[in-house]
Amino acid sequence: MTLFECRDVHYAYPGRVPALCGVDLTIETGTRVALIGANGSGKSTLLSLLDGLAFPQRGSIRFAGQELTEAALQDEAFALDFRRRVGLVFQNPDVQLFCPTVREDIAFGPLQLGIDAATIERRVEALAQEFHLEALLDRPPHRLSVGEKRKVAFATALAIEPEVLLLDEPTAGLDPRTATHLIERLHDAVHQGRTMVIATHDLHILADIADVVYVFGQDRRLAASGTPEEILTNHDLLEANNLIHTHTRHIHDHRQYRWGG
Amino acid sequence: MCDKRRRGSGLAGDFVARSIRGALTFLKEAVFAEETASLPGLLQALDPRVKLASVLFLLLATMFARTLPVLGMLYLVCPLLAVLSRLRLGFFLVRTWVFIPLFSLAIAIPALFSFVSPGKIAASVGIFHITQPGLRAAIFFVGRVTVSVSLAVLLSLTTRHAALLKALRAFGVPQIFVMILGICHRYIYLFVELVEHTYLAIRSRSGARLHHWQGRRVVAWNIGQLWARSCALNEQVYGAMLARGFRGEPMTLDRFRTQPRDWVWLACVTFVCLALTTLR
Ligand SMILES: Nc1ncnc2c1ncn2[C@@H]1O[C@H](COP(=O)(O)OP(=O)(O)OP(=O)(O)O)[C@@H](O)[C@H]1O
Ligand SMILES: [Mg+2]
Repeated sequence: MTLFECRDVHYAYPGRVPALCGVDLTIETGTRVALIGANGSGKSTLLSLLDGLAFPQRGSIRFAGQELTEAALQDEAFALDFRRRVGLVFQNPDVQLFCPTVREDIAFGPLQLGIDAATIERRVEALAQEFHLEALLDRPPHRLSVGEKRKVAFATALAIEPEVLLLDEPTAGLDPRTATHLIERLHDAVHQGRTMVIATHDLHILADIADVVYVFGQDRRLAASGTPEEILTNHDLLEANNLIHTHTRHIHDHRQYRWGG
Repeated sequence: MCDKRRRGSGLAGDFVARSIRGALTFLKEAVFAEETASLPGLLQALDPRVKLASVLFLLLATMFARTLPVLGMLYLVCPLLAVLSRLRLGFFLVRTWVFIPLFSLAIAIPALFSFVSPGKIAASVGIFHITQPGLRAAIFFVGRVTVSVSLAVLLSLTTRHAALLKALRAFGVPQIFVMILGICHRYIYLFVELVEHTYLAIRSRSGARLHHWQGRRVVAWNIGQLWARSCALNEQVYGAMLARGFRGEPMTLDRFRTQPRDWVWLACVTFVCLALTTLR
């Protein structure tokens, strides 16, 4: 089933900074989609459009058949349903976390969505345990390390238990163990039938986290799409889109064999 | 000679750096009392709602105090509470006395003189005459400000900001207002950190040889930039709230529980306040 359908999406920031110039893509239920591209190629912008935080100026985005527009999200019932089904983890955890304590931040989403207190309590405890956040629960989130903030940010989105998770560079700044755990968690989530859209620069984890990869080009459109193997073996594509550098090519070649094997 | 001048400017740069970082540290300590609020002291152990109520009672008693000895006794309560709450006395006094002149002098000084407070003349400074009622009014005013500021500082040093906000909520302050206060607080913190980090970044890029006026200009320019940055951040945070289902009226967790000691404390404070205000 098609979950998200983007047709010819254009978006420019105020001051006419173009961010997306005609993006077409479809996201099927239960798949893991990775978005890769150079800095400033529009990955974060697309995620915020998919989450209904901004709306395309040309073209359209449909979620489960319903077009995402400002008017549609003003409808209380649709907004509630949409927010329950779609969770977003922002690239900048300082944006994601705004409550006075970590506990309240994790509980914020479910509370707004009218989930009962006992369930929320249970979810907070479970997530705190899972991400080793127990000792941080009563601390203000803005006083944590970047990696800790990122774990909390992830927990705040998971607390909603959404069907679709939009993740903006979830592994950036995490220590290897936490990053691995996160990837395993993403696997489990997909087994539960969840859909993931992940923007990332981390080409190593692509094969682990994605079924489909979309490559954003410098012209703020999609340059290519395919399975992780297809994309990662296409050197010219990666180089043309600033995803690898000629000087580091031999390193990537070396990794290539590992991916291949 | 050249060397000397360079060293001189280096020192000036250091001075700017030191004073900026000193100011930032002070601001952080004054507004963000995380460390002192987690000490195992008397006030820290109280339920924030009870603590807020007791501070309000003491403030009322201060407002209604009619004699100087009563004001004096109320003032003495503050350092006593500070010590019982394991705050260092010097630390507490500095924090209060920094703010007192700020709040009091501008109002108290004009009140001294005959053109504001007519009455029997106590002393003269040139053509200005200090009157007895004026002197009395000024002393009372400064006294009340001193006690009030001390109480406010005590409250803020011994209560986590988050708990204070929730206590306000319990007193019927609208949720949206409390939420905005919380976000402001968070932004001041973020802003101070941004300023601090940017300053360090400039220093690490320009080396230690930043001339002091140059340093000041860079800092001023950056503060403008940083302000713009925190405004942009604010907009994004609103997006993050929407993303998690915020629809105008935020819901929050309420997890306060009062204990017997809270009620004992409240009874004591009420008794002291009543005794002091009815004392002749
Ligand atoms: N708030 C904003 N105001 C104006 N322009 C913006 C804003 N945010 C992003 N842009 C611009 O939009 C374009 C796309 O930005 P976006 O953040 O989507 O890129 P990205 O692919 O996520 O990059 P990165 O890998 O660095 O996170 C960039 O050219 C950027 O300069
Ligand atoms: Mg981005």
